[in-house]
Amino acid sequence: MSATIEIRNLTKRYGDVLALDDLSLTVQPGEFLVLLGPSGCGKTTLLRSLSGLETPDEGEILIDDKVMFSSERGIRVAPGLRQIGMVFQSYALWPHMKVKDNIGFGLGVQKVPQQEIKARVEKILEELSMGGLGERYPSELSGGQQQRIALARLLATKPPVFLMDEPLSNLDARLRLDMRAELKRFHYASDATTVFVTHDQTEAMTMASQIVIMNQGRIQQIAAPLDVYRTPANVFVAEFIGMPRINLLNAELDADGGHPVARIGDFMIPLAWAPPVKELVVAARPEDVTLLNAPESDAVECRVHAVLPSGPELIIQLTRGEETIVVRETRQLDLAMDQTVWIKFDSAALNLYDRRDGAMLVPAAELPGRTTGAEPTEGLAQQSQV
Amino acid sequence: MSNSVMESHDHRRALIERWFNQTKTTLMTPQVLISGILMIVLTYLIVVPLIQMTWRTLTWGEGDRRFSREAVTGEVTGFHWTQAVSGPTSEAFLYEPLVNTMITGTLAAVFALTLGVGLAWLVTRTDMPGKGWLRPTLILPYIVPSFALALAWETLFKSPKTGGQPGLFQFLFDVAPPTWLSFGAVPIIITMSIHYFPFAFLMVSGALATVDSQLEECAELTGASRWTVLRKITFPIVAPAILGAAVLTFGKTIGTFALPYLLGRPVEYQTLATMLFSSVSLGFTALGYILSLVLIIITVIVIWISARILGGNLRRFETIGGKGFKANLTQLGPWRWPLFGVVCSIAFIAAIFPIALLGYQTLMMVDGNYGFDNLTLHYWLGKSNPDIARGEPGVLHNTVILGATWNTLRLAFLASIVSSLVGLIIGYIVVRGRAGLVSKTLDQISFLPFLIPGIAFAAMYLGMFAVQRGPIPALYGTFALLVLICVVNRLPYSSRTGAAAVTQIGQELEEAAELQGASWVRRFWRVILPLSSGGVVAGMLVSFIGIMRELSLIILLITPSTRVLMTVGFRYAEEDQTQLTNALVMVVTVLTLLGQALVWQLGKGRLRRLKDRQID
Repeated sequence: MSATIEIRNLTKRYGDVLALDDLSLTVQPGEFLVLLGPSGCGKTTLLRSLSGLETPDEGEILIDDKVMFSSERGIRVAPGLRQIGMVFQSYALWPHMKVKDNIGFGLGVQKVPQQEIKARVEKILEELSMGGLGERYPSELSGGQQQRIALARLLATKPPVFLMDEPLSNLDARLRLDMRAELKRFHYASDATTVFVTHDQTEAMTMASQIVIMNQGRIQQIAAPLDVYRTPANVFVAEFIGMPRINLLNAELDADGGHPVARIGDFMIPLAWAPPVKELVVAARPEDVTLLNAPESDAVECRVHAVLPSGPELIIQLTRGEETIVVRETRQLDLAMDQTVWIKFDSAALNLYDRRDGAMLVPAAELPGRTTGAEPTEGLAQQSQV
Repeated sequence: MSNSVMESHDHRRALIERWFNQTKTTLMTPQVLISGILMIVLTYLIVVPLIQMTWRTLTWGEGDRRFSREAVTGEVTGFHWTQAVSGPTSEAFLYEPLVNTMITGTLAAVFALTLGVGLAWLVTRTDMPGKGWLRPTLILPYIVPSFALALAWETLFKSPKTGGQPGLFQFLFDVAPPTWLSFGAVPIIITMSIHYFPFAFLMVSGALATVDSQLEECAELTGASRWTVLRKITFPIVAPAILGAAVLTFGKTIGTFALPYLLGRPVEYQTLATMLFSSVSLGFTALGYILSLVLIIITVIVIWISARILGGNLRRFETIGGKGFKANLTQLGPWRWPLFGVVCSIAFIAAIFPIALLGYQTLMMVDGNYGFDNLTLHYWLGKSNPDIARGEPGVLHNTVILGATWNTLRLAFLASIVSSLVGLIIGYIVVRGRAGLVSKTLDQISFLPFLIPGIAFAAMYLGMFAVQRGPIPALYGTFALLVLICVVNRLPYSSRTGAAAVTQIGQELEEAAELQGASWVRRFWRVILPLSSGGVVAGMLVSFIGIMRELSLIILLITPSTRVLMTVGFRYAEEDQTQLTNALVMVVTVLTLLGQALVWQLGKGRLRRLKDRQID
């Protein structure tokens, strides 16, 4: 049971603030789509608009080709008729109802006979390995158990669409890790089209089949998690995704003996191709920078600013003039503060951005299919309108 | 050409479809429907009577031919206002009552406030002993009907000089008390102060309880003297509560009816409220309405001024229960026991003695003889005896009293339940409506009855429901009208209790039910109502008590078949059947005390549950 969700030109204003700005998006059946972005980017507004709890100002929402909302035609289907299940940040378990009544509530609304409700609730509790908890009240359960009851509520009515609004943010760090795995199994088993909102990029990366990155009410990029990481569609995405942060260096396009290079202050980085603009931002993930302890051709001399070991890897902050460069090393190196080292950039892994609008620059030959995703050019097109 | 016509045709069709769909969606949303109905009903029950009352003062009414031969029913005239403001009777009908109202109201409010604030400080912030039982005892004078205090005063100070039997004072000292002590401004001011000081006491105690921790920290950190701390920190924080209490007390004192009626009537001392009652009873409707408007205008002005000073803090009136606190108690030192004595005396004089005296008086066979040989249970248990009390049987055999008891309980029960439910729904719309136009308007309309003194409210309804208007039947004389007026009168309180309760319920709890397909009615019934029940039930009980001892609101609307305890008591008082009057007031007092005890029990239970949750 899963459904296609189609969102067309959705706009929502709160006073002068644009929470959603002419946003369009298609969610394929069975997809686990994660809406990711900083707080206030419109992701929760989008989710609530889907559920019908919020009414957008303009645009259309279709679920399985049925119009749920259309500003043009004045249609707004009530939330209860949209066949949508939602898990809230607070779980929204009714504190005055027993666990079994919480789970069976939706079935009661659908006028399912009491006997059948009882049987189905028990079965669901068994499936979630919570048999015997039906007679308890939500306040008598642990955070993880409450989370599971919220999911069980979805399983009872089995809607084809699940919406989840930061459901893991109230759990402690360890439990959150377990619940991620559990949620993944849950989605796999239910096969419902799922839209999941979070501001936690690790959560997005680990759970999503598709990530939608939003900022200021607009979609910045739609892509599979790894593509978002490897080829961020613009400077915002590049900076937002990745821990530690990506290195963004302002550069001028130059040529060194016929080869294209990026000139950054008093040093140069060789480029794999020549972009069509002069003013660039060069983006290099910390793991795409290699540390050398002796000079080499194309290597840049730097000074060690700080070394931050974290067990399996080392994060090293380097300075060169005004610039700070972060390097990730899996080798156990013995580095001293203020020591001189050399670094080399992996030219093939660098991403180049146009400094004027922040959009990614792509070699002409590679344009189609460079980013995989539902509508790969969407984010780019949106961004270049800025 | 034809193309563009087609286009415009399509365009129009699209517009019609959109309008149709939107209207359908809106009408299918129960909140919209309920808001609409509430707006209409409340407008009809609150705004329309106000306008109609005002209009009546500007037009000729039926029966006004008595005043002027030019009177044509329904035509606009300035006659009533001219008469009231500058006519030959204006001195007696308007200015004297106005001055009397302002004098008694202001002085009573000042005394009540002084007493209330002082006691609040002593009982909440010092190491005075006996605070546990003093607190509820000091609230008693406010819980008993103001009527009871007036009767107690009368029992104590009346004398044959002003008609009737000698009071306890004369019985003990064999001297008639001076008339100014028996009736008129002095007793009115004193008894009103006693009745309303617990109100200031409650409000200021609540405010004082919230200052503690800050006060303690500041005192310790800066080394300021206790007096400086009191002056610079405590007072500014408590000041809004004191001002709020002052305004509310004044608003209540000027509208009080029964108390000045009982203590002023024998010496022709009239206030606006008593004059209003007399005018309406005598058929001077327009004049009564003018007096109502004067009362309302005074209240509005006072509230407006205080709202400007407070900046909207006024909305926090009538708080239910309070939280326990750990106080940095002031050491009274050598003053500890003397002050305790003073407070005990106040508690005795204001709370215990009046009730005891009334109780004792009901046991006296002949009024005026306070000796033990005169004691009897006739007024409670006796059958009808033509020699005693004009043949009126004792309370337990008196069908009028038993009927009135049943009516009282029925009225209080129905009105408090309906008012709480409607208040919850209004509160829901106000809170969930996110300050939209509808929710703001509803909020303000439901607050309006607060500005209208009970007796003025009744006068309004008298005009409104005396005759059939369209589909609304003439409700005058029906029990339904009593329920209606009590419900509307309690709305300012119950809608705020409801709003507070709804605020406590996370919106997601309701949204979760909405997404499961639950209709608004089901959501309200299964989620909102159970989760708000604690606060709503407490508010309901407060309303229950309030309605049980309500007199001024319903006295004008009562008919023999709809009598309640307070109005029967009022009638007995007018007939000078003192023992029966007092017996009735005792019944009401006991019932309200039982209700209040229940409120306190509920409050305690809620506190305990809160504590349990915190331990979790």
